[in-house]
Amino acid sequence: MNWNAFLEFTRGQLFNVALLFFIGGMVYRLVRVILLGWKRDRVPPAGSKLGGVVKTYLKGFLIWPFVPWVKRTFSRNQVMYLAGGLFHLGLFATILLGTPHMLVWKSLLGFGWPTLPLPIVDWLAAVAIAAMITLLINRRVNPVLKLISGPAEFFNWLFVFLPMVTGYIMTHHLWFPYEVLFSLHMLSVDVLLIWIPMSRISHFIFYFFSRTIHGTEFGKRAVNP
Amino acid sequence: MSTQTALNTFVKETGGWVASQLEACTRCGLCAEACHFYQATGVPEYAPVWKVDLLRRTYQQRFTLSGKFKLALGIDKPVSDQDLLDWSKYVYEACTVCNKCSMVCPMGIDLGTLIHDVRAGMAAADLVPADLKAAVELQLKEGSPLGVTDDVFDDRLEWVGDDWEVDMPLDKKGAETLVVFSSIEIMKFPQNLAAIAEILNAAGENWTLSSKAREVVNFGYYEGSRENTVIFLRRILDHAVELGVKRVVVTECGHAYDALRWTAYNITDVPKDLEITHITHLLAEYVSSGRIKLKEGSLNGGTITFHDACKIQRKGGHIQEPRQVLKVLAPDSFKEMTPNKEEAICCGGGGGVIAIKEADPNRYAAFELKIEQLENVGAKTVVMACSNCRLQFTDCVQHFDLDVKVAGLAQLVADALIE
Ligand code: HEM
Ligand code: SF4
Ligand code: SF4
Repeated sequence: MNWNAFLEFTRGQLFNVALLFFIGGMVYRLVRVILLGWKRDRVPPAGSKLGGVVKTYLKGFLIWPFVPWVKRTFSRNQVMYLAGGLFHLGLFATILLGTPHMLVWKSLLGFGWPTLPLPIVDWLAAVAIAAMITLLINRRVNPVLKLISGPAEFFNWLFVFLPMVTGYIMTHHLWFPYEVLFSLHMLSVDVLLIWIPMSRISHFIFYFFSRTIHGTEFGKRAVNP
Repeated sequence: MSTQTALNTFVKETGGWVASQLEACTRCGLCAEACHFYQATGVPEYAPVWKVDLLRRTYQQRFTLSGKFKLALGIDKPVSDQDLLDWSKYVYEACTVCNKCSMVCPMGIDLGTLIHDVRAGMAAADLVPADLKAAVELQLKEGSPLGVTDDVFDDRLEWVGDDWEVDMPLDKKGAETLVVFSSIEIMKFPQNLAAIAEILNAAGENWTLSSKAREVVNFGYYEGSRENTVIFLRRILDHAVELGVKRVVVTECGHAYDALRWTAYNITDVPKDLEITHITHLLAEYVSSGRIKLKEGSLNGGTITFHDACKIQRKGGHIQEPRQVLKVLAPDSFKEMTPNKEEAICCGGGGGVIAIKEADPNRYAAFELKIEQLENVGAKTVVMACSNCRLQFTDCVQHFDLDVKVAGLAQLVADALIE
């Protein structure tokens, strides 16, 4: 097999198709939900809705997951909070602040930004991978997670895990020729891009809906969100 | 059985507000740890995310491509009669709609409201537990789920007025404030009626009770039927308008407050200039403005703590007010439980749970978390502003043979009044 040609394909045509599918799919999902209609809330507020929204985002971004405000819950589910938090931290650090990824963004958006030194990104990626393995084990043993997880949840995990491990092995030049790993990395990214609009990984969009609703509901009642 | 009716109701309730939150769920399961029923029993089906699963499945199978696809392939199954029977147990017997789970969900999903929507489907399909249904029927027929008919109401008022020597104006034209009690107070805690009347009189409030708007409890709201909820809301609102009052005060009942203050506006017409508030708010206002004077420190002594009711504090917003009052009454011996305020653990009796016999094991199991909290703070007295919580506490103190005094906030304030 000609790996260089395959790499060209996964980086080029396939990537473009996947990216378009991703964007089109997400727009479809969004529009579909928005078109279901929104009723005006006629309840006279006791506090500031906007204030509630601002507070809940600050809490969500700054405090979660390292100092969860619901202590009792934290003490009962550390694995999920910490592993979940570290996984997302590593994920965002690598795809936004890793130099190679930033260059992809730059080619797509037309502008770039400063990045983190490789060793730091590398560590964060390793932490993210370890966290993901922890999350998978937890998903297989926790009784509630067993109940609410189906094949789709496993694929979510797998399709996010593959780009991470292939990328990690690639930066360390381990075991396989570089172009083989790079092709597999790109292939798994393409698969992920196609999978996201069909799955719950789309939560990164709907997060902004549910958080805003949460902030509004609590702000309206003058309660800390 | 009318499974289709339930599904139609789910679909009707699902606008963008509901759908976007169902879409946001990552299936992380963290909400389970927030729910006192799951904590107490370890039953995975009591996880909040599972309680809304029927709503999610209906939404996906009806509205989303992936849901239709899964249904066609047989990966996902249509909602069955048996599902509805199972979920009826989860949402009525193992949920107080306390919304603690929404504090814990990392996506901030308003699970309590979504569970209420599941109840709406159950009510439409006639799958409300028999005890709860009977209470609804009674309220429809007699005006009260606890047998407070017109005659009983008059008798109770007369008796309370005489026994506690307190003036209780009824149907007074020109009154500014209409006070509506819950039948739990009328039947089980009559002293509360006297206490609240004394306080209002001492504050010089121009208030009245109504012989028609005489029941604040809303069992339609418990069962989740919008139709019945509105019927019961109208009984209060229409007569408030008839009397020409400026504000309606809900006494010590949580679910009723949630229905009247935070829901009514979106499901029926509430007169624009009618204020709806809770007695807790009035108490704090009277104390801070000096309209009533309390014996400071009169409750100093054994440790006294406050139980936050989910619908009056977390969902009602009256978090500071009771503390303001208790700090006057017991500056030295008032202590907070942990967690508290908006993060407080529910008593386990709300949301209609205490009215359902089959839910008793869950209800007692959940209360054990409360016992642990009470013991940790070393409470001799626990105060609350919700008579539904108070019913649960009183029953459980007996059931578990605890050495704790259960008190209503208004009662303590009335006892400490300086004439
Ligand atoms: C605003 C952005 C995002 C937020 C707020 C967010 C939040 C969350 C939360 C709260 C969970 C559940 C708890 C946990 O496991 O930590 C979760 C799970 C997950 N997220 Fe995200 N996420 C975001 C973006 C992303 C992105 C961009 C991806 C992947 C490309 C992703 C992939 C995943 C996966 C795979 C899981 C499931 C992990 C498991 O198997 O338990 N997330 N996310
Ligand atoms: S609303 Fe309260 S009782 Fe119901 S599922 Fe959530 S935490 Fe449990
Ligand atoms: S905590 Fe929120 S996101 Fe996680 S499973 Fe429960 S409802 Fe879904």
